[in-house]
Amino acid sequence: MSERDGIGKGHHEKEEPFYAGQGRILEMIAASAPLADILTRIVLLMEAQTDGLRCSILLLSNDGKHVRHGAAPNLPEAYVKAVDGLPIGPRVGSCGTSMYLRKPVVATDVLTDPLWSDYRDLAKSCGLRACWSTPIISSHGDVLGSFAMYRQEPRGPNAEERQLTEAATHIASIAIERQQGHSTLREREARISLAAESADLAFWVLYPEQNTAWMSEKGRTMYGFTPHELLTRESFVSRIHPDERAAVQAAFEQARASQQTFEIEHRIVLPYGKTRWVITRGRYLWDEHGNVLEIICVTIDLSAQKQSDLQLQVQREELARLSRIALMGEMTASLGHELNQPLAAIANNAAAARRFFDRGQIDPAMLKQLLADITAASHRAGEVINGIRGMARNGKSTRSRLNLNPVIGDTLRLVGSDILIRETALVTDFDSRLPDVEAAPVQIQQVLLNLIMNALDAVEALPPAERRIIISTRSLKGKSAEVSVRDFGTGLPADRAEKVFDHFFSTKAEGMGMGLTIARSIVEAHAGTLGAEDAEGGGARFFFHLPAAQRLPISKAA
Amino acid sequence: MRSEKSAGSHVVCLVDDDPLVLNSLRHLLASDGIAARSFDKPETFLAHIEVHRVELVVLDIWMAGMSGLEVQAYLSSICCQTRAIIITGSEGPDDERNAMQAGAIGFFTKPFDDEQFLAAVRGALDHSSEPT
Repeated sequence: MSERDGIGKGHHEKEEPFYAGQGRILEMIAASAPLADILTRIVLLMEAQTDGLRCSILLLSNDGKHVRHGAAPNLPEAYVKAVDGLPIGPRVGSCGTSMYLRKPVVATDVLTDPLWSDYRDLAKSCGLRACWSTPIISSHGDVLGSFAMYRQEPRGPNAEERQLTEAATHIASIAIERQQGHSTLREREARISLAAESADLAFWVLYPEQNTAWMSEKGRTMYGFTPHELLTRESFVSRIHPDERAAVQAAFEQARASQQTFEIEHRIVLPYGKTRWVITRGRYLWDEHGNVLEIICVTIDLSAQKQSDLQLQVQREELARLSRIALMGEMTASLGHELNQPLAAIANNAAAARRFFDRGQIDPAMLKQLLADITAASHRAGEVINGIRGMARNGKSTRSRLNLNPVIGDTLRLVGSDILIRETALVTDFDSRLPDVEAAPVQIQQVLLNLIMNALDAVEALPPAERRIIISTRSLKGKSAEVSVRDFGTGLPADRAEKVFDHFFSTKAEGMGMGLTIARSIVEAHAGTLGAEDAEGGGARFFFHLPAAQRLPISKAA
Repeated sequence: MRSEKSAGSHVVCLVDDDPLVLNSLRHLLASDGIAARSFDKPETFLAHIEVHRVELVVLDIWMAGMSGLEVQAYLSSICCQTRAIIITGSEGPDDERNAMQAGAIGFFTKPFDDEQFLAAVRGALDHSSEPT
């Protein structure tokens, strides 16, 4: 130590003594000064000991596969930039090779050394001729980085320079190891990675100071990164869909400021253009001095989920449609009757007109009346067909703000003949102050038809005079709209009130038992509830509540 | 000849609660020179028949309050000589058999052929005009 001390004094009178420099660096380490400052100080201290010496410290990235810039205050910036991020390997200059081989690599002349063949021009353009690199090894034996000495003349290191190297790598290893808690990190990553893989998640850790990231294998696949690609903050930003970059960055910033976990749903765009929906959760980890150590993130691929949601949606809609068609099959009387009435009127009026002509009795007023009646009947037939087509149509039904009273009115027209033919008295009691709801009319009609057909079935066994159903609406404090269909049948199956909503539960011989299940799922998809109870005085009451539509945006903003 | 007999006398009555159908039936009969009286409620027809002679009634089955078959049954129960043609927009499995067994002279499912319908109407009126 005293010898080196002497060297230092001899060549650099103005510099602080070597031991004092080392002491200051250890103080910085103890005080958890930023690693970059410590490493720079180490380099400067070493350079100060010998004329014409340039040094650098490179770090092994957290993925263990790349070199990252550590400190090189006196090397050309172009050179530093070019080296940063290079993979380690058996022929990557002196430093990349020494980290890879875990042993010192001495290139006395980089212009001829085979390890430098890929970097010869770079070194030459920066005026570097000799490079001796030594790995920085942790107390656990892991490679942390490398310390390199450069000279402008081709030669190998002398004894003094070897001693400086030994000192530099030792102190640098303490600094790096202390800062990173490196050995435990690896183990932790391995464990987390295993957990993440099995949970089908991408796990990644961003080290802001070093600007490197470690990412689980699954994560690399999800983000379209190659297994050995160096990951930085920019790698991740580049994958975020441009429309959502600002929002994602704001989420990170917010999480940093609030020291809380963030969560954001966004798209990532893979290199070949494919887009994935993901949800990223993350949080910042800090050291005791308030420096950000790392940002831990978990990303879940929602594409599969979204896809299955979509499939489920399609299946649900198809099931609902089939159920509507089955329902219309039950409404045979209504559909036939509703169409046959106007068709009969058309046929009769047209036949009458033809006969008047045949008889030579052409009264313009009469003909006008016949044609007007034909037109009216045609329109009515068209409305009936539209109603049927609406019920049978496949595809998404769009929701709109509507009042349920007229929807019930339309539905009753559709099913009116069945009510009539089944000799059932229908009583309606509509609340004129019923709040509007957000709903898909066709779906609500389906629910109503289910409840009405159900009620008609319930009273079927009664003598005609007692067959009654009551359809009423009611405002529940203006917060939701209630529709109820009450029959005077035998009530709900004893002890099985909820069973009426089960799949395949049917008291009807020909029923599929899906109707009420689907009705309930429709109501629930509208954020409502569908229930059934025994009514006071006999029979059953089926009812559903739909939440009142939000106020118009203008009043909401006010 | 037929028109002389029925003109102005309203011996033919039409009962259907659907105004479009009811009017079309009246027009169809008028085109054959047969005057008819229309009723859109079975109750008003029953009140009418208490005090008027009716040779033929065209009855729709499905009407609010009372079905055409019930009207027909009531007519039989009071030994009314009025003939009945039953029409329906929605034919039940036993409707025609029941109607014919109860003495209807015709059964038509809407929409029906004008010639066949008018032939049935004429048949009923000719039959009723035959000397006894």
